Amino acid sequence: MLAQELGGPGWAAELKLGFESRGGKTVLAERRHRGPLAVQRPFYPEGEVCHVYLLHPPGGVVGGDRLDIRATAGKESRALITTPAAGKFYRSEGLPARQTVRLAVNDVAALEWLPQESIFYRGASVVSEVDVDLAETARFIGWESFCFGRPACGETFDRGRAAFCWSVRVSGRPLLIERFEVDEEVLNANWGLQGQPIAASLFAYPALPKNLESVRAIAGDRAGFGATLIDGLLVCRALDSQIEPLRRLLVELWRAVRPDVIGRKACLPRIWAT
Amino acid sequence: MITDLGLVRLLQLVSPALPIGMYSYSQGLERAVEDGWIGNERQAGEWIAGILERCQTRTDLPCLSHLYDAWAEGDVASVERWSIHLLACRETSELRAEDRQSGQALVRLLVGLSVERAEAWIRHPSATLATGFSLAAVSWKIPKFEALLGYLWSWLENQVLCAVKLVPLGQAAGQRLLSQLAEHLPERVKAALDLSDDEIGGSAFGLALASSRHEVQYSRLFRS
Repeated sequence: MLAQELGGPGWAAELKLGFESRGGKTVLAERRHRGPLAVQRPFYPEGEVCHVYLLHPPGGVVGGDRLDIRATAGKESRALITTPAAGKFYRSEGLPARQTVRLAVNDVAALEWLPQESIFYRGASVVSEVDVDLAETARFIGWESFCFGRPACGETFDRGRAAFCWSVRVSGRPLLIERFEVDEEVLNANWGLQGQPIAASLFAYPALPKNLESVRAIAGDRAGFGATLIDGLLVCRALDSQIEPLRRLLVELWRAVRPDVIGRKACLPRIWAT
Repeated sequence: MITDLGLVRLLQLVSPALPIGMYSYSQGLERAVEDGWIGNERQAGEWIAGILERCQTRTDLPCLSHLYDAWAEGDVASVERWSIHLLACRETSELRAEDRQSGQALVRLLVGLSVERAEAWIRHPSATLATGFSLAAVSWKIPKFEALLGYLWSWLENQVLCAVKLVPLGQAAGQRLLSQLAEHLPERVKAALDLSDDEIGGSAFGLALASSRHEVQYSRLFRS
């Protein structure tokens, strides 16, 4: 349902991407959008893998906005999706902003969902869902990082609420359903974010015990980092007080697991360097 | 209303003497103490109360409620579906292993207690503690509300006992904590029963982190 149909304010934007393998190369065979969500022309910095940058021209999300992103990796296709900048969620006057991401990866296909961090301004109200549907022989790496408030300018997330849901299914069977909310209480609780404004998770499937060992070796004795391997899904979680070290950590973890999980050495999207 | 015999059966089911090894699991609390997140009675109370509200109420109890209904209706497919759902909500490999091990121990015990339907769940990869617990409750005519309350109580008692051993806390402090937190259990069960299916599921980032870190804790007393 669109926000306009609900009589609410805000943008309703939809983007639908379909990747297909054609003659050893992955093409963006389907690209449909409505409202302010778009992609640039794909890049091929590593040959067959299709790199796509997701753009949200308004530059930020307000209450009542609705972003609906769907990407399907067809059989044997290989794609990487990222964003050129952090996502910004501004203070909301009432209705929450909603972002829904649905990723489907077919057999022998590989998809990477590597957006830059989301920043939640004081007073933001957001519902964010990422739903990953994998075929039996699909390969996937995804991450998500959040910044609550703007620590660099002393703004804390003492008002507002963000609700997250990550779910991963393999052949229709739920492998992980992770739901959590962040508000001021959660931000400060010892069972929550322990006063750290920045949190991130990385997911990789299918992963092996040696991948778990390698991410643990990279993180070393870093406080606020944990990794686990649950029924073939590698999950890394981390907390930090600043975004830069966490960004670097995510890239290092990705670099370490990509050869086994996706079958290719890491090739950093150029946009991350800017 | 729970019958006198139903109450006695419930007490048996939630007793720490039930031989399914619950005393060996701390659910990340051991690592939270090691990392300095829990160092006193107040912090132990904060940790346990938070997980009670955010995780137990939103994940375990509503799944347990669905499992109870499924057993009562003889709907084995639904028992399997909700067991898989519950396991998918476990954030780490140790939390999944705990649920599978205690679930196996309980269904084996139930087979020995002549609960015939438990037989098919021996060695079943999706048998959770809640799967066996709900089967016992239905088989022994324990009403649903009391079954959920009992499940939550035994979780709470176990967590407080872990805190007493690990923080450590005095026995009197442990009982004080148990008393305070137990006051909220009936309202938590009511809240859990009010959740719609798409609201089910609640994680705590600190719990997931502590449990992941417990997997590599050098010296430890607990299996989770």
